[in-house]
Amino acid sequence: MIRLVFSDIKFVIVAICIFATMTLLLLIMSEYVFLEPYVVGHIPRGTELGLLLILVIALLSALVIPANVYRILVLNRSKRKMSTGLTGSVVGVVAGACSCGPVGFAVISTFGSVGAVATSFLTAYEVPLRVAAVAVLVLTYATTARSLKHECRI
Amino acid sequence: MSVAKNTIIVLAVVAAILVSVASIEITNNLMEPVVHPYPGRTYGEINTDAGSPVLGDPSAPVTIVEFGDYQCHFCALWFHNIKPQITEEYLDQGKAKLVFVDLAFLGRDSMKAAHASYCADDQDMYWQYHEVLYESQLDEIDGGWAALSNLRNFAMGLGLDMDEFNECMASDKYAERVERNTAIAKENGANSTPTFFIVGPDDQQIMIRGAQPFEVFKQSISSLNGDA
Repeated sequence: MIRLVFSDIKFVIVAICIFATMTLLLLIMSEYVFLEPYVVGHIPRGTELGLLLILVIALLSALVIPANVYRILVLNRSKRKMSTGLTGSVVGVVAGACSCGPVGFAVISTFGSVGAVATSFLTAYEVPLRVAAVAVLVLTYATTARSLKHECRI
Repeated sequence: MSVAKNTIIVLAVVAAILVSVASIEITNNLMEPVVHPYPGRTYGEINTDAGSPVLGDPSAPVTIVEFGDYQCHFCALWFHNIKPQITEEYLDQGKAKLVFVDLAFLGRDSMKAAHASYCADDQDMYWQYHEVLYESQLDEIDGGWAALSNLRNFAMGLGLDMDEFNECMASDKYAERVERNTAIAKENGANSTPTFFIVGPDDQQIMIRGAQPFEVFKQSISSLNGDA
């Protein structure tokens, strides 16, 4: 699947953009990278697993999303797998929306106690949610690879 | 004889009334809302008149103002990983002092925990209680770790006078103080916790958002001191 999709340079560029954007976004949201007052990165003790999951989610998203774009544009196939892949990516992203951060602050300020409960859930279950996102992305990757193999053989 | 007796009775009644009035007045004063116990205490542009007592040497040239919430995960992360280095290199050396200001926005227990910290301050145990709160923090917000019963347990563990502590908690006398601190945090642009302001000797200040590494604090303090 990888060779087929990424033989076209456009999909390689899309994959690189997705990986870079998601990684940076998630690293900033989860406070592994800070831009002010100085650009700095650090891994606090006990957060190594969180960092690993972020990299896996970004990598899987960079594989799954271009592959499904390829299916839709080149092979004119359905968008169902694309939406499953996007769901996995979105879950992976919002799991890092800690209630302490600016995103959580904005949600709590806007939605009050409902927002507090929601962000509290995302914070407390950050790792299980990210593991679930990885599972969804792996599943989407496997089914996309299988269908591409089948569709291209026909 | 009867005149003298009457006089004694009248004096005794008057004395009893005076004692009652005085004790009511003292009790009222103790339970009166305390909003800003440090009038006029400002570092840079930040008004900390309702914040914590100062940790470290009050005459230290640099001030670190922390806006935090006791239920904030990143605040606890900073407390455990970075604060010990700050304490060792700056607070203990008289190079900087720390003031904590509540930005209690995460849940209902955030307000209670902040209130409890000031009730502990009534018995000169603010920073000890602050430490116990961060040591005891659990992941789930409003999950019960900072509920009233546990706040009492923390106070008991520190050996506080429980009658005084319970009376303080029941009176809500620091509720306005916590609200004022939260309003001051927002006025200063703190929209996440922890947010720090490093204020230098010339009242210049640098904002640090998040539980950033020690090197960022070190570099900020150096630049304010003119070392960098």
